[in-house]
Amino acid sequence: MKPIDKRAGLLTRRQTIQGIGGVGLGLSVSGLAAPAVHAQSKRPIRFLNGETGKDTLAFFAMAAKLYEEKTGTEVIIDSVPLGEAFTKLTNGIRSGTPYDIGTTGFIGQVLLLAEEGHIVPVNEITDQYEWGNNILFPIDEKVYWYPFDYNLALIYYRKDLYEKAGLSVPTTWDQFATNCEATVEGRQKGCLFPIGSNGATNWMSFGFMWAEGVELFDNQWNVILDSPELAPKAAAYLDFMARLYPTMPTGSLQASYGDVLSNVVAGTVAHGAYAGRVIESAERDNPEIAAQLDVMPYMDSTGSRTAANHGYDGWMVMNTDNSSAAMEFMNWMTSELIVDFLHTAPVHFQPTRLDIYDNDRWRDNALIKKHSGMIETMRGLITDESVVVTSIDTQGPNPDVRPGKVFESFALPEMLQNKILRGMDSDEAVSAAAEKIRQAVG
Amino acid sequence: MTRWLLPGFLTVGAIATLVLIVGPALYAVSLSFYDIPSLTSDPVWVGLNKYAVVLSSGEFWNAMWNGIVYAGLTIILQVVLGIGFALILNQKFVGRSLLRGLTFLPYLLPTVIAVLTFKWMVDGSFGIITILMHEWGLPAVNWFETEAASMFSVILISVWLWTPFVTTTFLAGLQTVPVQLYEAARVDGAGPIRQFFHITLPMLRPILTVIVLLRGVWMFNKLDVIWLTTGGGPLGATEHLPVLSYRKAFALFDIGSGAAIATLSFLVLMIAVTLYFRAFPMEEVK
Amino acid sequence: MNQTLMQKLFFNRVALYLAVIVLAVYSAFPIYWMISSSLRPTQEILTNPTLLPRSLTFQYYYSLLAQTDYPRQFLNSLIVALTTVVLTMILSIMIAYGVTRTRIRGKQMIIAGMLYAYMFPPLLLAIPLFAMFNLVGLNDTLLSLVISHLTITMPLGVWFLWGFFKTMPFELEEAAMVDGCTRLGAFFRVVLPLSIPGLVTVAIFAFLLSWTDYTFALVMIGSDANKTVPLGLASMVGAFDLRWGDIMAGSTLIALPLFAAFTMLSRYFVQGLTAGAVKG
Repeated sequence: MKPIDKRAGLLTRRQTIQGIGGVGLGLSVSGLAAPAVHAQSKRPIRFLNGETGKDTLAFFAMAAKLYEEKTGTEVIIDSVPLGEAFTKLTNGIRSGTPYDIGTTGFIGQVLLLAEEGHIVPVNEITDQYEWGNNILFPIDEKVYWYPFDYNLALIYYRKDLYEKAGLSVPTTWDQFATNCEATVEGRQKGCLFPIGSNGATNWMSFGFMWAEGVELFDNQWNVILDSPELAPKAAAYLDFMARLYPTMPTGSLQASYGDVLSNVVAGTVAHGAYAGRVIESAERDNPEIAAQLDVMPYMDSTGSRTAANHGYDGWMVMNTDNSSAAMEFMNWMTSELIVDFLHTAPVHFQPTRLDIYDNDRWRDNALIKKHSGMIETMRGLITDESVVVTSIDTQGPNPDVRPGKVFESFALPEMLQNKILRGMDSDEAVSAAAEKIRQAVG
Repeated sequence: MTRWLLPGFLTVGAIATLVLIVGPALYAVSLSFYDIPSLTSDPVWVGLNKYAVVLSSGEFWNAMWNGIVYAGLTIILQVVLGIGFALILNQKFVGRSLLRGLTFLPYLLPTVIAVLTFKWMVDGSFGIITILMHEWGLPAVNWFETEAASMFSVILISVWLWTPFVTTTFLAGLQTVPVQLYEAARVDGAGPIRQFFHITLPMLRPILTVIVLLRGVWMFNKLDVIWLTTGGGPLGATEHLPVLSYRKAFALFDIGSGAAIATLSFLVLMIAVTLYFRAFPMEEVK
Repeated sequence: MNQTLMQKLFFNRVALYLAVIVLAVYSAFPIYWMISSSLRPTQEILTNPTLLPRSLTFQYYYSLLAQTDYPRQFLNSLIVALTTVVLTMILSIMIAYGVTRTRIRGKQMIIAGMLYAYMFPPLLLAIPLFAMFNLVGLNDTLLSLVISHLTITMPLGVWFLWGFFKTMPFELEEAAMVDGCTRLGAFFRVVLPLSIPGLVTVAIFAFLLSWTDYTFALVMIGSDANKTVPLGLASMVGAFDLRWGDIMAGSTLIALPLFAAFTMLSRYFVQGLTAGAVKG
């Protein structure tokens, strides 16, 4: 998945402008461009793909060809970076040329489309499998997407540096910070966690806070970040991050997904967050480092709990006159070819279906074999109930668009900046963030 | 044919202006009187409400101030450096025409490239500047990590990009100053500094007036350097009116406020330009 | 010449060359670094870059041209910029010439209006323009981008050319017309050739504005197929994988044609710039 998609948010700018198209001119754009339904027999299935890796693109070309040979139904694949997929999807709906299958990396988008009836439940292709924790997000038992990877943000670290400095894998914040401090050497820094107002920070830097048991909302959607129980924990998290900061390279404020990835792959930091792409990238550009990387979850201050930050991506079947054909195709692809799909980014596409972890064909892959220990760790995170698997946009008692707004408001990255750049008191930074969240969710 | 040529030209021009500029501009301003809360609901007329909210918000005044600082400092630096460079390039030395070409190159680069190259050069791990400073035993520079440093960095990039415009224009202007004036001044015993302030500057004042005007308007409206470099951060330290307006309209989906901010910024600019014309009337009034 | 004068002259020379070197490094180093980074292998970029590359590679250029949308984006940018130039020229010549050669009231207002149009925040125009394009089905097309660029280039073009036409004596055209030319003929045979420096300047300005535009493209263009280079380049960075080599190669490929064009046209450009700035 491209974590970038998180920046695009629930509503895209293009949509918003379209929504306002009528003002002033007295015309309603949405009315003018109402979806026109063309009744056609066996028209091609239009698939909007959001995974633009070279191998993944080749996979879809192959799958489309195979399916046409087998059934005579043509499948047209359009590929855009995931960050633009939602815009393209909704533009299609508005202009009367909807896609039949779409890709998303944001549960809020699934909810929005489900509420407006643009997507159909996919239970018939998901019910038969057992899934990892916290991934299907059903609404009234109905599952609206087929998630294909977890894309968990985890902490990657260098085994060789640990060995050299005689360090052990940390289980508490204090140990982690000590390890970061111990691995600073010349241009090589201890760790890199982004702190800027961007999607990368939202995805990579709050795992520690989730592990500590901090939550944003209670069951009634009240903001509880600054409650008497949680405020001290959030404040402690800020103190911890402020302690890590001096061990980071300069520029963590600007750090994007790519910056963190390059730093881990190049070996200029001893610890850095990311998903499996780190391995694929390192194997390609810097194999010596790849052999030295291992992974650990985010930990809490006392060593009693661990966490991983959600990334997830999935496919949705759109509500069109071609839905049943699309569903058939999805059923075929997800049962026959899912392993081939996952192999296009073997470590990065962490399976969501539990049966895949025991699938021999899936296991029979050079990278998966080579990093089997890491894969086991990753599998453990999604089956062990004690591991917190969450993210800003999936906070709250049930799937909802509100956490998506918190994501967009960058309230939490600003909390980090208030603490680290402005030297604001931790408690004060937490209350400011809670206030900002309240504003964001209205 | 002949009789209709000029009116024809003017009609085409008028239509183009109406369609391209006046229409959209009025429409844009009208947006600021509406609240458009979401995709599905209809716009609601709210009158001047958006303006009231915007004007009473701290972020607007912060952005206004940042905009003044950004535009002001970039213009001053562009003009000062531009004149300095032009004076150097006006001397005789080996490789002069080559250097004249080189100094113009930054102006040709898209902002995106300048921003990316700058970020690449100062990258905390791989940037050549970071590495050289490390090798020379100097402390790492936090190019973006403090509020002042971020402002400094965006100004630096902007100045680098657009100084060549001033340099080239001023240099071309220098050729038009009659040599006799300098000779006469030298006979009177005036040194180079006095010559500069008493001959060069007054002679080139018309050029300078136009440069400052065009650059000033440009810098005040310029979105992309800041948007691509810092996005207005950290914590609003480099957020000026265009960024604020963009963020409101396109990131927070409050088109009304975005339009209100942009309209206000246009008014501010209009007042500033009108005052500027008063202070520096241009020859052959426009 | 006495010795102190010699010393002073020598000192001045040294100071001048020092300033020249500083100026050269300041202007050219970032560009050098951009180009040289685009020619280094990834390992060298990431491990220990030195001022001079130790080995050269064209792999980024190869992968850019062969595996990404870069060629397409380049073509899009070129189409948009050239169309913008042509339309800007036609419109601004017509308006500027019309305004200078007629005695209508409110002439000043038109010119002042052009300046105010230049002052109008581009972003503010982008919103309604986008809505308009949506209405007429032009959304996410290259044409929509061209029209958006015209909102900046046209006022600027009128402003510059007005300065040019204004200083051109009426008598020239009248003489031509007496010789049997129509007004249009006089315009083409006399006025335009004499305004070449100004026309070139406007063309270059329009080209640069359009070629380097990011703001409008960000709003107007959605699909990959219609992206221009600055937009494509920016989304390359935004993506999950930071490929500095590819980015710098892409940047170099955008910059080089501009450098080449500038070298060929610089004489006109400088002339026009001065004339435009001096006159208005």
